[in-house]
Amino acid sequence: MLTLQKTTALDTDYLESLGFVWHTDSDETSYISDELVVISETEAEAYYEATNELYDMYVEAAEHVIENNLFHEIGIPFNLVDVIKESWESDVHWHLYGRFDLAGGIDNKPIKLLEFNADTPTALFETAIIQWAMLKQNDLEEESQFNSLYEALIDNFKRLVTLQEDVSNFEEVYDGWSFLFTSVKGNAEEENTVKLLQHIATEAGYNTEFAYIDDIEFSSEDGIFYNEQNYELWFKLIPWEDIALEESDLAMLLTNIIKSQKAIIFNPAYTLLFQSKGLLKILWDLYPNHPLLLETSFEVLEGQKQVKKPIFGREGENISILDENANSIEKTEGDYDSHKMVYQAYTELATDSKGLSYQAGIFYAYEACGLGFRKGGKILDNMSKFVGHIVK
Amino acid sequence: MKYIKKFSTIATATGLGALLATGMTGCGDNNQPQQEQAQAKGATVIIEETEPGKYKILDESPADETTIVLKKLDGTKQILTKSEMDALVKEEAAKVDNGTSELTKANPAASGGMGLGGTIMASMAGAMLGSYIGNKLFGNQNYQNNRKASYKSPSTYSKSKKSFSQPRKSTSSKRSGFFGGNKKSSSSRSSGRSSYGG
Repeated sequence: MLTLQKTTALDTDYLESLGFVWHTDSDETSYISDELVVISETEAEAYYEATNELYDMYVEAAEHVIENNLFHEIGIPFNLVDVIKESWESDVHWHLYGRFDLAGGIDNKPIKLLEFNADTPTALFETAIIQWAMLKQNDLEEESQFNSLYEALIDNFKRLVTLQEDVSNFEEVYDGWSFLFTSVKGNAEEENTVKLLQHIATEAGYNTEFAYIDDIEFSSEDGIFYNEQNYELWFKLIPWEDIALEESDLAMLLTNIIKSQKAIIFNPAYTLLFQSKGLLKILWDLYPNHPLLLETSFEVLEGQKQVKKPIFGREGENISILDENANSIEKTEGDYDSHKMVYQAYTELATDSKGLSYQAGIFYAYEACGLGFRKGGKILDNMSKFVGHIVK
Repeated sequence: MKYIKKFSTIATATGLGALLATGMTGCGDNNQPQQEQAQAKGATVIIEETEPGKYKILDESPADETTIVLKKLDGTKQILTKSEMDALVKEEAAKVDNGTSELTKANPAASGGMGLGGTIMASMAGAMLGSYIGNKLFGNQNYQNNRKASYKSPSTYSKSKKSFSQPRKSTSSKRSGFFGGNKKSSSSRSSGRSSYGG
């Protein structure tokens, strides 16, 4: 059983003043739990080490996919293969940030990789700002969190031009390139997540602007434009696979723009390789029985409880838990039914006294840099709650 | 450990609240006038019948619409209609699925070319028309080899490849309006929360 600490909840007016407008779920319950998960420094350290090790393994696995042309096998749309290879070849396509979802790590359960949200990770605001504000509001500021996400992002934004660990020469090498930040219209969470990133980039020293995707102009020859101004750097909180499948012309334009070096796009196209749950199978091939991994296959696993999930599913949609005989015990509906599926060995999540399951989300920006939890049923979906933490 | 920090400095120092407050949005309505959808990208393909039932790609260039011109053995020309193209692509897709397509064979028996469906699929236009099977093909080395073989001369292949990877001069104007109002967003979701990253 994991340990929780009760706090006084942040009031919604305060959250709204921060721009955190998605504080209440459709059933009128708060999205932010008023409890904090209590973890030890050793546990925090273990999350940090595991996440860094996993990232190195992901890089190896992606290299394996590219060398052996396994794009189709892991479900990558063919019209992104060129841009993925192109982005992989050059350091300027720096990975800004991602979020690993891990099981265990608390309550004496081993850390196991569930998946890596490498392309368009959310929960950034909650992890970087909200759980910190909870400590502050409850006069717990003497306590600590595994949370340097905000500062880690400032540094990693600088690395987009310094291209090395040391960022002290940023002012020297930054040549005034303009940085455009983008979401789709009509989703406050996505928009304000992007605006938070824009804010961090501004603090890092960039000239920044925000625009909705449908107001941006793209040209193969000239690059990316908004209000007649050219942007050399572009962040989009829009999944690459959606661009490939829903706007294939845009996929082609972006490929050309990257090839002609008119702009650099974040997160880079190769993060779609990390995002594909097909890579979980490649990881298991390359690192069989690795203690951080769960066995994963494109076929049903023999004789063990397992989770079936779509290669590019999101929000816990179309996930089934299967028993040893591959009979479905529990499942969610969704839009990803027709996707290719992977089968991942089942692992128990840590639970609280009410039987709710907890999953750790650890952000990675050059290194592991911030932890938050989500709690919900056995399958965490978009009704799951964010739970902050405190290190004691 | 340096990653566990006291956070008394960050948010107060950054003026985050002010910035985000000005940028705050509701779960707004999204009834922007829809920008005109851009034309689908296609290709003009000239296919030549080299012997009865065997075809090669003679030339291919980017265009806004896909047109396939068939030069038959008897010298007559035929322009394939959209439904004819779709039918041929669909037929070939079924063959790809059951493994009988020449496209995915290591050594297609015919040196004189493939059947019409296979030849169309080997063209860039085919890859676009049949994008739903494109994934299967593009991961297949035999397909890549056979594509090259389907062009009448190696230079036709490299020219075609080049003209498709080059920016199109004819339409050098900028394009916009992507995901204009069509993007699946959380407005369709119960919670109003993001559809990403979960």
